[in-house]
Amino acid sequence: MSELALNMRGMVKRYGGIPVLKEVDFAVRVGEIHALLGENGAGKTTLMNILGGVVQMDAGTVELFGKPITIESTRSMQEKGVAFIHQELNVVNDLTVYENMFLGRELRTRFGTVDVNAMCEETERIFNLMQVQVNPRALVGSLETSTKQIVEIARSLLMNAKIIIMDEPTTSLAQHEIDRVFQLMKNLAHQHQVAIIFISHKLGEVVAFCDYYTVLRNGEKVAEGPITQEDGLPIDQADIARMMVGQDVLSVEVFRERPLGEVVLKVDNLSVGRHVHDVSFNLKKGEILGITGLLGDGKEQLVRSLFGDLPNDGGTIELCGKPYQPSHPSHGKKSGLGFLPANRKENAIIKDLSIQSNITIVCLEQCKSGPALSFKLERQMAEKAREELSIKAASLDNPITSLSGGNQQKAVLSKWLDANPSVLILSNPTQGVDVGAKNEIYAQIMKLAEQGVATIITSGEAKEIMKICDRVLVMYHGRVCGELDRSQMTEENIMILSTGGACTVDRSEAKCSTIN
Amino acid sequence: MQHNQLSRDHRAGMRKFMDQYSIMLITVVMIAIATLLQGTTFLSLSNFINIIRSNSVVGIIAFGMSLVIISGHIDLSVGAQMVLVASVSIDVVNRTGSAVLGVLAAFAFSCTLSLMTGLIVTKGRVPSFIVTLGLQYIYRSILIYSLNGGGTTTSNAGYASISNYSLFGWLPLQILYFFIMAAIFWFVSKRTVLGRHIYAVGSNEKAARLSGIKTDRIKIISFVLLGATIAVAAVAESSRMGSINSTSSGVSYELNAIAMAVIGGVAMEGGKGRITNTMFGAFIFGLINNILTLIGVNTRLVNAFKGAIIIVAVLLQRKSKER
Repeated sequence: MSELALNMRGMVKRYGGIPVLKEVDFAVRVGEIHALLGENGAGKTTLMNILGGVVQMDAGTVELFGKPITIESTRSMQEKGVAFIHQELNVVNDLTVYENMFLGRELRTRFGTVDVNAMCEETERIFNLMQVQVNPRALVGSLETSTKQIVEIARSLLMNAKIIIMDEPTTSLAQHEIDRVFQLMKNLAHQHQVAIIFISHKLGEVVAFCDYYTVLRNGEKVAEGPITQEDGLPIDQADIARMMVGQDVLSVEVFRERPLGEVVLKVDNLSVGRHVHDVSFNLKKGEILGITGLLGDGKEQLVRSLFGDLPNDGGTIELCGKPYQPSHPSHGKKSGLGFLPANRKENAIIKDLSIQSNITIVCLEQCKSGPALSFKLERQMAEKAREELSIKAASLDNPITSLSGGNQQKAVLSKWLDANPSVLILSNPTQGVDVGAKNEIYAQIMKLAEQGVATIITSGEAKEIMKICDRVLVMYHGRVCGELDRSQMTEENIMILSTGGACTVDRSEAKCSTIN
Repeated sequence: MQHNQLSRDHRAGMRKFMDQYSIMLITVVMIAIATLLQGTTFLSLSNFINIIRSNSVVGIIAFGMSLVIISGHIDLSVGAQMVLVASVSIDVVNRTGSAVLGVLAAFAFSCTLSLMTGLIVTKGRVPSFIVTLGLQYIYRSILIYSLNGGGTTTSNAGYASISNYSLFGWLPLQILYFFIMAAIFWFVSKRTVLGRHIYAVGSNEKAARLSGIKTDRIKIISFVLLGATIAVAAVAESSRMGSINSTSSGVSYELNAIAMAVIGGVAMEGGKGRITNTMFGAFIFGLINNILTLIGVNTRLVNAFKGAIIIVAVLLQRKSKER
């Protein structure tokens, strides 16, 4: 166990004079799952990009299995056995599973044609090893997001990687799949002597599955050590979080009791295609309603149809006492809804526009003076948002993509502030966001609720729901299978409901129906 | 930290500067080369007016084309549409004797055609490349059929003066149209809500839609604005010549317009581009022709140089982005 798979010493990287890595040492032993932790912008992605051959270092030495190496390119690092699984999915939707697995390294028959059967068998073998059922000939585009992720992990296994870097690989996976993937990772690391570097913001996973941790903060290593402490117990999550941000944040209480107003949104028997069936609920002024469930539960389709992004097939909606039948997102917006979609990069970021233009895109009409846009008014709106959500940006004129994930999320959230929505729908509002920014976003949501905004939050993380919601609807296979108020919210209750199990909470309090 | 912040801002500023002005740099370098080769012949006012005038018709279309490409689409039918619109305009002038009615007819007809293009693209969910490829054949064929393979002419003096009259005796109105259109399209793209929405739709349609933007409407309006530039081009061209020909007029105008936009830095994937740089793209097109003529290179080679410039311009812009 003591042999070093990777030894990086004195790593230095500057971007335009700004040091993002200040002489960082980072070592990973053979056969361990090593958690690399830190807030967005701490330097962990840069460090891994150096290792993956994506960016060049300014100073430092790298040894692989005791041998000093020079890092030339992504390709050369792949050949040296370093696989990089990025946060964003990196699969070709129009190809089949086996074609994706062997992309660029296709097996050939004696006649030089591609050997489909051999590739399918090999793919099958990897999936068996991972204990997952995926048809190698299925089109990747037809698979669920989680399965796509599994295909990507399988691909690195196929390449016989000795060191696998996983950058937040579980953000799009459901809990049981996360467990399965980690079981497999453990197996790989401990039985097959693969070193795994694991970047995540989910400290629960880190404590449960990793062997060792290194924490970076502002480009410096601030702590490292084994997950299992000398007393045989795992390290406390709050301790790690403190090391990451340099202050006590996990225990920050954001939820505040406040009086709720009259019903703003009334949904009756709403159905959306094959995803959502007969969903009914009320939402009061100033209330924060959580909607949770496992992957494929229909919560995303439900909120998208509320905003007008998906057509509904029956059911009635009342908004502020008036019937509301959304036909298009522009209609939802005009009716007083705001919507922050899940998957920021795909659905929320307008990559070619500046930070300012991304913030003002929703309420641009308010920045007009006459027929023309007033740069002054627009700047005021963006500055206000920057202040309100403490968006950390060198200049609002920089591209939105220059921001870290947390600040991007704050920017896309802030674009709805000036629309004064009566109902704000937030899908996975803290997806891919570090601990510090998470709390800032929660605080903002709570502040809006206190101002009377009725909020719907969808999230797969029970902790997030418990942190901020007054009430939660749990969905299972497109139906609301339970409702819990704040006093009944426990991770256990939420999990039981979202797996379709019978409800154990008091039936007079919670509306429960058993599915199948 | 303060110092680092400054230097990063400085760097970002540099990159932005290169992004924005590399095309002007190319223009200046070309002018410098031509001046070295030709001296004052090249630098004369009349030569510059020639350069701009010879490319102003396609240049006007290039402004509309830029918007459509920024919105994430393309229009391959503009050349044929321009001649079709010009033939209608000439017909109306000849029937009514009124140049004004001819111009109005050109606008009405061209915008209607482009509205139809936009509707098929958005409501029919057919890629604009395909739709306009088809329309191009249809327009050209109808034109050749209705004009029996020949052309149509007008001798209306008012109509002729639209393009040929020179302000102060030296500034042809046609050049003025080019700059007026540049100003209008710059204003629309940079200073209006519509313009911002066009960039947003071209950059990330999903995100634009989920921000409450009526994306289909934005795309249709971009096509209609292109239709307006085609009308201006049609009038300018037919007024200058007094005629159009069903087979030889407007040939490969669409590709030239796209080329000017691309040289100016408009990205084919949408979301990126500047009207001012498209204007420089049009200058460069004229410069190539002019320089080659002045130094006595066979003008049959002109398209080879244009092709090279397109590739080099895009390469330079890519490089400045990577830095």
